[in-house]
Amino acid sequence: MTGRSPSNLWTMARLGNRIRGISRLSPTATAGVIIILLFGVLALFSDMFMPHDPVSSFTDRILQPPSAQHWFGTDGNGMDVFSRVIYGAKFGFGIAIPAVIIAVLIGVPVGLIAGYRGGLLDEVLMRIFDGLRVFPSIILALAVVAATGQSLLNVVLVLGFLDSPVFARLVRSEVLALRSSIFVESAIAAGNPTWRILFLHLLPNSIQGAMAQTAVRAAWAVRISATLAFLGVGIQAPTPEWGAMIRQGAEFMVSGQWWVAIFPGIALILLVFGLNLFGDGIQDILDPRRRVSK
Amino acid sequence: MSELVLSTKNLSKRFPVGRSGSFVNAVNGVDLSIKRGEVLGMVGESGSGKSTIGRTILRLTDPSDGEITFDGQDITTLPTKLIRPMRKDMQMVFQDPWSALNPRMKIGDLIAEPLRIHFNMSRSECNDRTEVLAERVRLSADFLNRTPSALSGGQLQRVCIARAIATNPKLIVLDEPTSSLDLSVRAGILELLQELRAETQAAFLFISHDLGTIKLISDRIAVLYLGRVVEEVPKDKLFSDPSHPYTQSLLSAHLPSDPNETLQRLTLQGEIPSPINLPTGCSFHTRCPVAINSCQSNVPEADEISPGHLVSCLRLKDGQNIIRRDLK
Repeated sequence: MTGRSPSNLWTMARLGNRIRGISRLSPTATAGVIIILLFGVLALFSDMFMPHDPVSSFTDRILQPPSAQHWFGTDGNGMDVFSRVIYGAKFGFGIAIPAVIIAVLIGVPVGLIAGYRGGLLDEVLMRIFDGLRVFPSIILALAVVAATGQSLLNVVLVLGFLDSPVFARLVRSEVLALRSSIFVESAIAAGNPTWRILFLHLLPNSIQGAMAQTAVRAAWAVRISATLAFLGVGIQAPTPEWGAMIRQGAEFMVSGQWWVAIFPGIALILLVFGLNLFGDGIQDILDPRRRVSK
Repeated sequence: MSELVLSTKNLSKRFPVGRSGSFVNAVNGVDLSIKRGEVLGMVGESGSGKSTIGRTILRLTDPSDGEITFDGQDITTLPTKLIRPMRKDMQMVFQDPWSALNPRMKIGDLIAEPLRIHFNMSRSECNDRTEVLAERVRLSADFLNRTPSALSGGQLQRVCIARAIATNPKLIVLDEPTSSLDLSVRAGILELLQELRAETQAAFLFISHDLGTIKLISDRIAVLYLGRVVEEVPKDKLFSDPSHPYTQSLLSAHLPSDPNETLQRLTLQGEIPSPINLPTGCSFHTRCPVAINSCQSNVPEADEISPGHLVSCLRLKDGQNIIRRDLK
């Protein structure tokens, strides 16, 4: 027999066991993963699932209710809402993932240095980040995106920058606890330069909490980017982005054409929900105390 | 040729207590010297400043006062940047091997770390050397790909020792390297250290509170009390001719190895005084059975009563420093 050699079956069985183990450990995380994977597949292979072009308008079928031809109906431009909702997943991930990566790339090194060096540098860095957190993030994001120019790239950069304090704080608090630990002193005694202590010794031992937060912060990024688009900043209609679609659909709500806004809204809620479930579940798995208390 | 590897002069270390303006006087004017290939043992109760001396000598913490000369160079105030390359020649082994190793690094990387930092080695050269080092400390090469959690305390301490000898240092500070290990494991580690000491010609500063361990490995022994060296004595004279009252009381607390030997305890009264408010004069006078009035006001100087045997006691002059003759 080809393909199904015993070792192959064995690995598959082990993988199955592994998945079952994780799902027993945290059913919420599993539910989250399923939702995220679903949207991931839609985003990656949207061409296969979209029955119509998301930005071509059927001028003769404006604002049609859901039907066999247009499952989620059509919007004010006669565009297929179902196809647009599917295409919108690309924006959800396309903004959230790079934004979180930027936030981690800024926040983690800042947290490492602030926590390890302490003193004045720590004070200054943390007060700057406190300052960032004082403003409601939507208003700050709105102002910055409006000031720097309306582009997708700017939205990603601003979200990443605004979210970096979250990661900086998490890493910093871990480093503060680890700074005086013996293995760090032992690393100093061995002659490690500071960069090696930061990135080879402190980073691997302090990153766990920050990594567990990435899914939750991705949910935040999805939510804020959709809000920005809803407010007309960053991404503009008729780009098939969920926030922008909800904005378009909002004006038709009063006249009874609910499907234009409701379907992208449901997609948005589901993705944010999935990311949050996953993030919470991951934290449960990583933190034994939280697991026990359940 | 007995070149001096390390010497300290009047070494002191104070730690501020909160913002109260008072200080913990951990180390108070310590003069030490260690020659090449020599093992200096350092004994004292907890809180006597043993570990602080070890850490200060290696500039893991900055001295408050005094001088440290390492390998002919004054390193007392040398900036960190210049200390770092010198760490090739001065290494440390910590007390608790479970927490002295980065839990997320592989054993092989931990042993190779000093090599990677201090030498410009090719990868294969580094791996070869790591294997040699592991073999030298009798650690199976199978462990090189494991993380510290897979090893026992004795094995972890062997890893720490391999790290310490990796760069052929001139000085190794061993801060109670065996006191957290089981008795059976302890013997193996001590045996290994004795072999290494003969092989490497490195100077050892061996810190311990266990007289038996100290006796086994040291050439000279410094007895510490409240951050001061009260007696510095060649090994063979420690048990035969302890001259400071504190040394004598320490020895009487040590169980003899001969079960038939009668045990005569000389129990000190009271607690070790707080290092925040050091006693005036001789810091041992509050608990010393032979203290006289002048002990409260005069700080004793170290007297060399025989070659290499230094004692800081005011009662040396009238010969009353020996508490009970029958103890000897």
